[in-house]
Amino acid sequence: MANEQTDSVTCRINGIEVTVPKGTRIIEAAEQAGIGIAHYCYHPGLSAPAMCRMCLVEVEGAPKLQPACVTTVAEGNNILTESERALESRKGTLEFYLINHPLDCPVCDKSGECRLQDFVHAEGPKHGRLLDAKVIFGQDDFGGNILYDGDRCIMCTRCVRFMREVAKDDLLGVVQRGHRSVIDTFFEQGLDDSPFHTNIIDICPVGALLDKDFLHKARVWDLDHTPSICPNCSQGCNIRIDTRDNIVQRLRPRANPDVNSYWMCDYGRHQYEWMNASDRIEAPLVRAGDRLVAQNWQPTILALLEQLKQRAGSVRVVGSPMQSNEDNGLLARLGSVLGATTPVYRSTRAADEVVLPGFPKLARRRELAANGRGLEALGFDRVGDDRGQGGVTATDVLIVLGDELADLPADFGRDASLFVYLGHRLQPAARNAHFVLPVSTFAEQEGTFTNFEGRVQRFWPALQPPPLARPAWQVLGVLLAGLDDGPAPADAANAFLRVGSHFDTFAGLTYEMIGTRGALLNEPVAIGAGGGD
Amino acid sequence: MAEQKTELRGGNDGWAGERGDFANLSEADVRGESYVGVRPLEGRAAGGACSYPYQLAEKHPDAPLFEGPYHERLEKIRSRYPDAQGALLPVLNLAQEIHGWLSQADMDRVAEELGLSPVYVRGVATFYTMYNKAPVGTWLVQVCTNVCCNLCGADEVMKAFLEHTGTEPGETTADGAFTCIEAECLGACGFPTVVQVNERYFENVTPDDVPAILERLRREAPKQER
Amino acid sequence: MAYPFKHERETRVLTEAFGDPAARTIEGWKKYGGYEALRQALGMSPNDVIEVVKASGLRGRGGAGFPTGVKWSFMPKDDSRQPHYLLINADESEPGAFKDRELLRWTPHQVIEGALIGAHAIRAKHVYIYMRGEFFEPAQIVGRAIEEAYEAGIAGADMMGSGIGIDITLHIGAGAYICGEETGLMNSLEGRRGQPRIKPPFPAVMGAFSRPTTINNVETVSAVPHILRRGPEWYKSMGTEKSPGTKLFNVSGHVVRRGNYELPLGFPLKDLIYDVCGGIRDGRELKAVIPGGSSVPILAAKECDIALDYESVAAAGSMLGTASVIVMDDRTDIIRAVRRMVEFYSHESCGQCTPCREGTEWTAKIMRRIEAGEGTVEDLDTLLDVGRNMTGTTICVLSDSCAAPVASSIAKFRDEYMARMRREAPIDALTV
Repeated sequence: MANEQTDSVTCRINGIEVTVPKGTRIIEAAEQAGIGIAHYCYHPGLSAPAMCRMCLVEVEGAPKLQPACVTTVAEGNNILTESERALESRKGTLEFYLINHPLDCPVCDKSGECRLQDFVHAEGPKHGRLLDAKVIFGQDDFGGNILYDGDRCIMCTRCVRFMREVAKDDLLGVVQRGHRSVIDTFFEQGLDDSPFHTNIIDICPVGALLDKDFLHKARVWDLDHTPSICPNCSQGCNIRIDTRDNIVQRLRPRANPDVNSYWMCDYGRHQYEWMNASDRIEAPLVRAGDRLVAQNWQPTILALLEQLKQRAGSVRVVGSPMQSNEDNGLLARLGSVLGATTPVYRSTRAADEVVLPGFPKLARRRELAANGRGLEALGFDRVGDDRGQGGVTATDVLIVLGDELADLPADFGRDASLFVYLGHRLQPAARNAHFVLPVSTFAEQEGTFTNFEGRVQRFWPALQPPPLARPAWQVLGVLLAGLDDGPAPADAANAFLRVGSHFDTFAGLTYEMIGTRGALLNEPVAIGAGGGD
Repeated sequence: MAEQKTELRGGNDGWAGERGDFANLSEADVRGESYVGVRPLEGRAAGGACSYPYQLAEKHPDAPLFEGPYHERLEKIRSRYPDAQGALLPVLNLAQEIHGWLSQADMDRVAEELGLSPVYVRGVATFYTMYNKAPVGTWLVQVCTNVCCNLCGADEVMKAFLEHTGTEPGETTADGAFTCIEAECLGACGFPTVVQVNERYFENVTPDDVPAILERLRREAPKQER
Repeated sequence: MAYPFKHERETRVLTEAFGDPAARTIEGWKKYGGYEALRQALGMSPNDVIEVVKASGLRGRGGAGFPTGVKWSFMPKDDSRQPHYLLINADESEPGAFKDRELLRWTPHQVIEGALIGAHAIRAKHVYIYMRGEFFEPAQIVGRAIEEAYEAGIAGADMMGSGIGIDITLHIGAGAYICGEETGLMNSLEGRRGQPRIKPPFPAVMGAFSRPTTINNVETVSAVPHILRRGPEWYKSMGTEKSPGTKLFNVSGHVVRRGNYELPLGFPLKDLIYDVCGGIRDGRELKAVIPGGSSVPILAAKECDIALDYESVAAAGSMLGTASVIVMDDRTDIIRAVRRMVEFYSHESCGQCTPCREGTEWTAKIMRRIEAGEGTVEDLDTLLDVGRNMTGTTICVLSDSCAAPVASSIAKFRDEYMARMRREAPIDALTV
């Protein structure tokens, strides 16, 4: 194919023709052609030192095999990644990795997602030839969340380069030389104070770097993986929630070049135990005198609708930045239909944000909840202080979604004529509610969050909620239907469209458009402003 | 001082440095007037004497680093390189010259002085053989046992040193006088076996020479506070 | 018999001043025609200097044998990417090589003069002489010579009144063989771990401190003043057509007269051993020769009837390298010698590339076991296979250098290995 532009090149990789911009490396061009090239030290988010020697490929005309991670594609190259020479080279290199590698698979956390296992299984030698003693290093606690096993380490130096180039916190280095070389910190100085250091366990291809939090917790092949959005601040890092037996075992980052690259912060990564809280509201509860009595949904909804139609006095609606756009959007609509004052929400904010120096788009933002920006776009006002306290007073009719009201006195809402609480756990203040409706957390439903810069991102359900809990948008949708404000949305996608029909900021967006990468809100976005301020 | 020269298997007479005479030769013996026979405390001019990885016999493990004339040398070294990182190896040499080895505190101090991270300095210091990561004796005896010297009896010379000092390789004698280690090729393969003691080369060493060499070193040792 | 021993068949060009302590001073060096060439070069354009060296056919003496004039011509011909650097590789650590040390000790001004001419040719304003840390005495001598050169206005600003300024810095290493590899040297100079870099980018494009850099061996630059002074045709009149000039042959091992001998390239190896070096010691027989330092394949005695130039040695299946000739007589335990060489490479591997980091120590372990009599025939196959996987697969050639003596010794001295084996018949490893 003729290249009119001089800044693109065409080559063939395993017979597949591919045209790429000049300067593209073979490994990147191959990815475009759908061909994966085995590698360890290369990582698209880091520099490429070409030292693991796994990615050596045959380039017709070159006498030696070329490292695909640094060699750029030239016009007319014929590249073979599966030729006999390339296969032999990979097999030989894998053998070198195995000779000092301990047979730890039965006790290694990485087993099941280990790149050494994967490549050896695919192309490695079937039997070992080492008859002599292996080199031993032992384990080391690097401080922070990291345990290091020197025997398993394949010296790819991804961790060193991540700390140096991305976290810009030079805390790891290679010490010694040759076969005695190993990764270490500066003696007792550890990784404790570096807020992004746990990312090194994701990029470590083997089980040399382990998260103390996940140590010996679950086998990887028992885990279910669900794409989601980190709820712990307004950055909206794309994550994967890994669960087993309906319990969240860990969070992992998911790549999104517009939001978080390949990374996430340590704070967000380890804030998941709240999703596993088991003291949940089990069933809809209706007040009968001093007691809350469990009931089925239908009579509860009917009773609530009666109360709503007969309401008197001022109406206030309180949302939650930990709940989705769909939940909060339909709550705001309900408030509007009922003639409520401006809806409000409260959120915790840290003193400052913590930026990842090597990828400044990513920071642990000040607002420690996912959907503050979404709430603002839905017309909510933020009230209360930076500890998420105060700002809420009881009124005649009070509808609270998600906010646990933990700071409010135990008699809060006792004087309200109608107090509806849609939540997860029964905090003391909420016990004064007339209707307590169990709803799912974000992890238990499909929905969207809007991050600090106005990016709407989808998440999927990772957990089963308690059997009688429902997504808040579903409950609110039914209530709206009962108030003759349109049919109840049947699924989250329609709930989202319904929100867009009431709020211009969300108009025109659909789940298809958002996809897995997110889409910006219709209103102009000023990145850097907002974001928790 | 007893005459050191014995019948040399290599057939070559010793010259300066080969029989350990280098430090004792007068300037007239070697060349001209201004031969630098002792370590230059001041760095002199242009690039001539930046810093060497001296293994001085006289060590001051508690002396402050980079003060006085050493501070001047540090600045002179810094001026020879386009950035602070380039000066790292010479500055580590300077630290080892004063203390005799590089401790964790030394690496930290050098890192601070040059604006580098401590773990980076540790990585560089542990890469190179000549930086001592532990204290060594007054005399660091490095016997080349690489192939050319090996063909001419280096293993026997090493054994002789270990026997006469009563140590294992890398171990320091009880009186702190000697540490004997094996070294890789010292670049004097025509004069086997080559032994480097601190900054001097002893060439054409045979096992028979070992007691005399050790005796001479004991006589020359500076009095150290222990 | 004083050292350096002069043999009548030597052609003493670089080594003419060996043995004269006065040659360490400027005055003494001038008696040998010193600094005439520099004055001449400073009056020429850099390109013209490059052309002279190109015409002489001088090849790098550090082992690779790459034509020096061509290497210099890779540097930018203008000042758009200044500063340029010239690095002199005085990190002589190859087992068997001891020629650079002698050049530095006896004729420091020869090295300095050649370096300054080279720096002028490549438009460099700064020369670093990277000397290995163990060379204290040569460092003292060269350091003093540099100071003298500055004091005499030969180095520094306005050299010899020419208006050209070039600085020299003596940079001392700290003990790593891999820093003799040109990109490892650059990394070490920059204050990093001395690990080799991937090429491209090549040093002439992006080298020390990310600037265009040329790295030359001590012996290479030492030849340059003579080429300038006496002309490239004179230089080509010595040696062979493809390997012109003289070479310092550093002979060690089991000969009567070890040492450095400067001879024209193409000199017969047999003559070097039996005539110049006085033959094998104690009247023994020749068994093997390593012609170019421990990194090149071993030649068995019957393969030694060759001329010592780059082409002839390559044709014989080895390499001339640094011309460090290691001679082994018939009492030599080849396995022990190879084991020690492999241990050297394992100790000196920088550890970046997996085949080298793991393969050198694995090879060393097997060699130790074979030497102790615990080896098997399968070990030989493993050694050869591992050696193949270590050749051509890494950033630098240290692992290739480790594999070469192993492969060549197994090929040429297989009987000796077999005699050491624990058992001769192959066993089925899976049944153990």
